Amino acid sequence: MNLLEVNSLSKSYKDFSLKDVSFKLEPGYIMGFIGRNGAGKTTTIKSMLNLVSKDGGSVRMNGLEFNDNEVKCKEQLGYIIGEFDCYKHHRLKTIAKVTKRFYDDWDDALYHSYLKRFSIDENKKVDELSAGMRVKFALALALSHNAELFIFDEPTSGLDPVSRDDLLNVFRSVVEDGKRSILFSTHIISDLEKCADFITYIKNGSLVLSTDVESFKQSFRLISGSKHELEGYRHMLLGYKENAFGFTGLIRAEDLENCPNTKNAPADLESIMIYYEKENNNEKAAL
Amino acid sequence: MKKLLYKEFKLCLHPAVFLFMASVLLLFIPNYMFELPCFFICNAIFFVFQQCTLNNDLLFTVTLPVGKREAVKARFAFIVIIQLVFLLLCIPMMFVHNAVYGSQNAAGLDVCPALIASYFIVYSIFNIIYMPTFYKNGYKAGKSFVLSLIGIFAWIFISNGVFITAAASRDVSAFFAWIENNIDCLPTTQAAASIQAAAIIVCAVIYVVLTIVSCRISERNLEKKNI
Repeated sequence: MNLLEVNSLSKSYKDFSLKDVSFKLEPGYIMGFIGRNGAGKTTTIKSMLNLVSKDGGSVRMNGLEFNDNEVKCKEQLGYIIGEFDCYKHHRLKTIAKVTKRFYDDWDDALYHSYLKRFSIDENKKVDELSAGMRVKFALALALSHNAELFIFDEPTSGLDPVSRDDLLNVFRSVVEDGKRSILFSTHIISDLEKCADFITYIKNGSLVLSTDVESFKQSFRLISGSKHELEGYRHMLLGYKENAFGFTGLIRAEDLENCPNTKNAPADLESIMIYYEKENNNEKAAL
Repeated sequence: MKKLLYKEFKLCLHPAVFLFMASVLLLFIPNYMFELPCFFICNAIFFVFQQCTLNNDLLFTVTLPVGKREAVKARFAFIVIIQLVFLLLCIPMMFVHNAVYGSQNAAGLDVCPALIASYFIVYSIFNIIYMPTFYKNGYKAGKSFVLSLIGIFAWIFISNGVFITAAASRDVSAFFAWIENNIDCLPTTQAAASIQAAAIIVCAVIYVVLTIVSCRISERNLEKKNI
């Protein structure tokens, strides 16, 4: 059974629409949720959790319809939005004392082990913490009630590389029992290369692709050629950059056979996102 | 609800609530617009909402395993507790005021049981205006407060105007004489005691009904709101 199933999620604002976003996440995996600023990642997550009233679609967590079982689903959910930015003048221990009352499965020993691991002094007030420490405090709260599903919106953005690496190890250890999963959105694609099993990519409110990392990468190739070759391939390129010698561009793997005599190379996640989002790309067919 | 109320007291209680609770001491002033202390409690509640807005309380609350409607109900329970505690604090102060100064007040309603009824009306006006307008947007605490001020001060000035006029015109108008003898006074007759008791009951019912209506509207407003 899937831990998370998002079906045809949609939400319209005056100048932005989330259109029929669907994906699913099985237990034991980490899914990276990527897209550029304003692509709809946070709107998707907030719509999933009823923080934003969705126009259509449904969300199931652990087999339960979220709308009908909101409290039960939230008990099994660890959720953070970036750094902890609430109750700045309160001590961390007061906030934790309040938070733990809401979770029957709160594990005090686990919470204190995360505080120790992240070097957090719970006698400090929130406004005495750096941005990175606030992220870590939010994570300590989210990870301490034995949730099955974790949804993290930009959890690594305020962290230094060492802390990020430590955090990614925490993520891996969370899912290694095969019962829990993590969905996390990020701009730091290198983090996903290190720990994600699945990628869900969203652009302008529409889902581009949701699949495992290897399939995702194998769906694309990078090709390069001279300037005059560009004219022949332009219609197939999902995005490209021109330079003094020619061009480098992203192409769908199945279109590679139509580009003979070009140099090609595997595309990494970052290249895929950068080229796919290029402003000078041509009209692209849906994947 | 118990968990949410605990959260309200631990994380949302603004020090201004204690400060404005002390406005009960204004009942010691010999002549004063005695409905104002009750307004100060509304002011304290505004501070609670303003602080919660700055603290991203709504976002924190709705990410906990509770629904948006429960979050609103808990806030209402918290506010009602603050309002009722202030009313309870007023009662002994009323006895002290009357023992020291007697019940005559040149600036409006006397410090008498009818004052409690008037406080219920002030709270009712505040609750029915402030909370639904706040939960419509979820962060404009000040705008909602200004709107509620209009209602509260309209009531305070109109009611005080009536009582000041009644004190001045009791000898020329049977209606004002009735007000002075039955409402704007310490009840020394059975009739005055019954009228003031009835006033308290009626105003308390208005308070309960309008607070429940306000809660329902606020729940609906927050349900629609994008956080």
